[in-house]
Amino acid sequence: MPGMWWVVGATVVVALVAVYLIWTAGRVERLQDRAQLAARALDAHLLRRAAAAAVLAERRYGVELYAAARIALDAQPEEREAAENDLTRQLRAVRLDPTDGDCEAVIAASRRLALARQVHTDLVRDARSVRSRPLVRLLRMGRGHTWPRYFDIDDPTLTVPAADVPIR
Amino acid sequence: MRIGIVCPYSFDVPGGVQNHVMDLAEALIGLGHEVSVLAPADEDSPLPSYVVPAGRAVPLPYNGSVARIAFGPVSTARVRRWITRGDFDVLHVHEPLTLSLSMLAVLSARGPVVATFHTAMTRSRVLAAAQGVLQILLERITARIAVSALARKVQVEHLDGGAVEIPNGVAVAKYAGVEPLSGWPGACGPGTGGTLGFLGRFTEPRKGFPILRDAFVELARQRPGLRLLVAGPGDPDDLFNRFPADLRDRVTFLGLVPEPEKARMLRSVHLYVAPNTGGESFGMILTEALAASTTVVASDLDAFRRVLDGGRAGRLFPTGDAVALRQTIAELLDDPDQRAELTACGDQVVANFDWPVVARRVLEVYAAAIEATDGRVIDQEWAGPD
Repeated sequence: MPGMWWVVGATVVVALVAVYLIWTAGRVERLQDRAQLAARALDAHLLRRAAAAAVLAERRYGVELYAAARIALDAQPEEREAAENDLTRQLRAVRLDPTDGDCEAVIAASRRLALARQVHTDLVRDARSVRSRPLVRLLRMGRGHTWPRYFDIDDPTLTVPAADVPIR
Repeated sequence: MRIGIVCPYSFDVPGGVQNHVMDLAEALIGLGHEVSVLAPADEDSPLPSYVVPAGRAVPLPYNGSVARIAFGPVSTARVRRWITRGDFDVLHVHEPLTLSLSMLAVLSARGPVVATFHTAMTRSRVLAAAQGVLQILLERITARIAVSALARKVQVEHLDGGAVEIPNGVAVAKYAGVEPLSGWPGACGPGTGGTLGFLGRFTEPRKGFPILRDAFVELARQRPGLRLLVAGPGDPDDLFNRFPADLRDRVTFLGLVPEPEKARMLRSVHLYVAPNTGGESFGMILTEALAASTTVVASDLDAFRRVLDGGRAGRLFPTGDAVALRQTIAELLDDPDQRAELTACGDQVVANFDWPVVARRVLEVYAAAIEATDGRVIDQEWAGPD
């Protein structure tokens, strides 16, 4: 009976397509979740650096650094990148002493922030690339999430030993 | 924290990646972490206690050389079992783009994955053809580490992603206080004596051995007692035929030296010379020479300049210039104060490459990967006390 083969064939094709779609939807969801979690980690590190800078400013470097740290802490989302860059500039302008505990805390926080930023950028790129696939757009997968956004700031790394300054 | 590390190549044969994995694992254990290393190896081969063998590796031609790797359903099952049993906080794979345990581990992993890229692979045809598959693989990696600026550049340009550059470490403690070979390095005074060292494949043009030979031959005629100590793979006759007959007794060839003997060899010379003409992405040997507190003379390559802190920790000479090399050698052999100054600075520089220091930076990347996977932030002190 040729009719039955048609049914079997069609069922197999439908099953394969369904598996692929479910897998893709899972992939979109996974990448989207990861980008969001990375954004949360990045947010935490930004706050942590600004807090460490504020502590340092109160004790040693005075008003300008303190103001930059406060502005970074209180910035609205749309002003935040600029505020964080400003804080990085302020931190670079002062001479940090690695043997001092508060300075060391700022240097360490900046280093951790640089890593969080790197990871966040990579994960956002992955999420965006999968979401811009035609099929994903057509079926509006991942529409429950906002479009993943880069957080575009300068490299916040402060003094690193001369031997391992990365080449750009 | 519980760390699972995957090494793609078998420990049965020595190699840069294998050494890196072992040193890293030991440094992490030294910092108080639980580490399990999965690597291809026979069940009955002698292995450090932290290594879990994943079965025999098969030789497979890859990227111009033969890699011994494990791949296939049996390996997949073993990798899965190891991951499930290990219950790791973070999985650290090395060279995940080779067809190996590392790739299987990435595909089986659920939690945070950190990947280290060692080779500076340029865009291969295989890589380009498999872009879609590659994307699925790369998507599962949370954070990437490159061991050299060159490896990082490949990441950025060809694999469309950033990577944190963390240099190869060197176990400084293993080099400190090692006795030189008996009778070496011998006397060295103004205008006389002195010992030069070279380690590597002297037949390979990029290692620049002919430049050192020219400088040595010229200088040995003016400077009685000048000696050359060569170590590395190769045929002794081939080496000695490169020198005039009257100078051959001033050249000593050690052949291929095992890892522990390397430190002794490096301590047996007044000057370690790295005349490479290119193709060096990092300059591991220089950090090793610095760890042995030996004065270094190296060609002015980017990688070398960076390791030697722009020339503060070792003298640089224009790449490929035998005359400049000869002059530099003569000057340094005549001046013990300058050598002492360079090695003192070298000790400071190499401290940045010491494994415990490097391992702490790797731990920070682990933290970043874990944070990006579950959104919580780990305390700064977690990397352990100094």
